[in-house]
Amino acid sequence: MSILSTLFAFNAAAMFVALILYVIFGQVTVRKLRKNPATKDKLGIEFASGWSILNVAQAIALPRFITDKLKQSTISSMYAHTDELVAHTSKFDRILANLFYWLFTGAGLSLALIALLDTLGLFDYIESLA
Amino acid sequence: MSEILLCNKPIKADALAGQCGIDSSMIFGAQCRQPSMLTAYTPYLIGSESSNAAPSNAAQSMVNQLTNTAKNRELTNIALSFGGDNTLAIADISAKLQAAGVATMGPATSFYGNRVGGFTDAVKNYQTALMEYRHVIENKVTSSAIKSAAKQKAMAAFQKMQQGFHHELKSVTGAAKSSRGTPLTSGTRATNIARSSRNVAKLNITSQVQTSNLVKFSQHAKFLGNGLAVIDFASRVGNVHISHKSGQNWERELFIESSSFALSAGTGIATINAGTAALGFLMVATPIGWVGLIIGGLAVVGASAGASMWVNDFAKEDAGNWYDSIMSWIN
Repeated sequence: MSILSTLFAFNAAAMFVALILYVIFGQVTVRKLRKNPATKDKLGIEFASGWSILNVAQAIALPRFITDKLKQSTISSMYAHTDELVAHTSKFDRILANLFYWLFTGAGLSLALIALLDTLGLFDYIESLA
Repeated sequence: MSEILLCNKPIKADALAGQCGIDSSMIFGAQCRQPSMLTAYTPYLIGSESSNAAPSNAAQSMVNQLTNTAKNRELTNIALSFGGDNTLAIADISAKLQAAGVATMGPATSFYGNRVGGFTDAVKNYQTALMEYRHVIENKVTSSAIKSAAKQKAMAAFQKMQQGFHHELKSVTGAAKSSRGTPLTSGTRATNIARSSRNVAKLNITSQVQTSNLVKFSQHAKFLGNGLAVIDFASRVGNVHISHKSGQNWERELFIESSSFALSAGTGIATINAGTAALGFLMVATPIGWVGLIIGGLAVVGASAGASMWVNDFAKEDAGNWYDSIMSWIN
């Protein structure tokens, strides 16, 4: 198998796991938050159905200094509200959010990075060296 | 070019000559049979006027392909209510949009999804307005004010569709040239079609590619009656179904389609999500302002669409091998 295919396969496996976590996190944590009147309206903008699951994970998983900045932004209504979410979630929920968000974002962005590098011709160049 | 004839009720072949000037000796069914009675919802080939000889091989294979694989009931109804050229144009557009990998969920959350959905909506609105107009005509409403209002509405819907999807329409209707213009390019012609009620529709098919576009289109479109057609632009389920029908390894196809879908959707969504967070952060931390936000937003959407299309293509190539190795590992 070429380097590209191997990298892609590992990345794909990580993405599949992340997508399973997506469903679990949605069912376990976000469902609870959607029913809770205190957090119902604080889940951020829903670009597509299920997007608020991402918003919640993002609000919990991103470091505090970033979410504090996002709150001041003029487009802050797009994001979920970190303070309320943290107040209404358990420690397990927050660990799950971190796990899901970083696996998902990591796998997604590295797939995008592989796409970029392949488009620029890096993998063809490596193959030509071997 | 081959002309395909579709009708929504049984018609005697002889009656066609009186109705639309087509001689019964020019009608060919599948396997080149010459029927005396045309069955409803079945495609027939119209032979050339000059020679009475059997139609060409290419034309015959088109009719056979349509008879065997297309959902001809839906196709006939859609062809009757949209008009023949219209049906071909929409079938081509939907095939084009799919070919670009835009039926994927990843970009569907952003730009291209809006475009595909928007196109379906625009066609649907136009169609509904046309049908209202037809309804007014059929019920012989005497008030000319109501008539012209319905016509105005159809024209307005047409304008909206034209403006929004200028490029897509231009690229497909360029291929389907007609001296009168296609209904998709001429609102007047479409309102004329709507005014006359018909039960025979003609499709002018120019190529094999167009035939298979039609077949795919008829499998994803559903005619709900009253002129409302629901077009499902997603081809993935279709691919699995086709390989199941033709006796291929459909589980493998299902694996390929679903895994490439999941991967490209995941990549697209992750890119957009990280991108919007980065933008919000940049907006507060740096003086990029609204202009920077818009430019950055376009960049994020572009990167997301590009990345998920690449992932979709690559996963489609590789997923077959993954399936094979997983199966051999299990066994």
